Amino acid sequence: MELDTDSWSGEGAFTQVLVDALRTIDAVSFVRVEDASSSRADVEYNFMSNELFVRFQTREREVRQRRFGMIPVRRQVEEAVMTMNGLERELGELDDVGLPDYADDGMLQYLRTERIVPAYQTRGYKLVELVRIYEVGADRSDEAET
Amino acid sequence: MERDEEWRPKRSGRGDSWGGSRGVVAAAVVLACVGFFLLLPLAATSTPVVREIALVTRDMAFYLEGDTRPNPTIRLQAGERVRFVLRNLDPGINHNLAIDDWGLATRTIEADTVTTLELEAPAGSGTQSYTCSPHREMMRGVIEVVGDPR
Repeated sequence: MELDTDSWSGEGAFTQVLVDALRTIDAVSFVRVEDASSSRADVEYNFMSNELFVRFQTREREVRQRRFGMIPVRRQVEEAVMTMNGLERELGELDDVGLPDYADDGMLQYLRTERIVPAYQTRGYKLVELVRIYEVGADRSDEAET
Repeated sequence: MERDEEWRPKRSGRGDSWGGSRGVVAAAVVLACVGFFLLLPLAATSTPVVREIALVTRDMAFYLEGDTRPNPTIRLQAGERVRFVLRNLDPGINHNLAIDDWGLATRTIEADTVTTLELEAPAGSGTQSYTCSPHREMMRGVIEVVGDPR
């Protein structure tokens, strides 16, 4: 699997878990990790948002068509061996990943929250990690809305 | 001559009657026009002007529609009537808009849905927090009430 992390700061423990999980899935051929622009921090929280773009392995399949509605022809088409739904199922079976908090046809979304209490502090801060997985080339559902 | 004499009274009779109703109609039109222009400002002042503030929730933050600053400070005039229109653009995450100290909150909405909250800003200046009830730490901004009441 090809991994592109040039646009990722490396922050996000769960993002790393996801990347490691994707490495184990044969159907995934490429993953690009990016920091999302919405990451921000304040006294009470640290919000981290990362985006993963995946591409699946492809295979060729022969399809039969009729040119001009009459002449039978055979064509080779390239199709992905996995869909986002399939990826959701694969990730859901992994203990350290699990099913996403939200999924639609073009996106899987994981939201992880934990409270970090540094040594000698009582309250600490909330660490929120939002990771979205998109298929490369697919329409992004949030961009379609805005 | 006879025809003239016969004709004149009839003519003059009808003419008087028409002249009278014409006057009444004209007076009514004038009164209506004057009344309309006199009542227009009154009507304008009696219907409160409501400013609409479009907010969206995205990536666990509030944004003014078309703006990129998360959880922005929202300025209201003292006594101003505003309607917050909240649209949730966070897929899979439910949000609302709450101003706890004013005892106001919208219902919690799912992605791609809209809710509104109409309020009148207090008469005095001051600041107030607005939040999303389920995500108070991250989704928190300030409402700043400025100026004299209108």
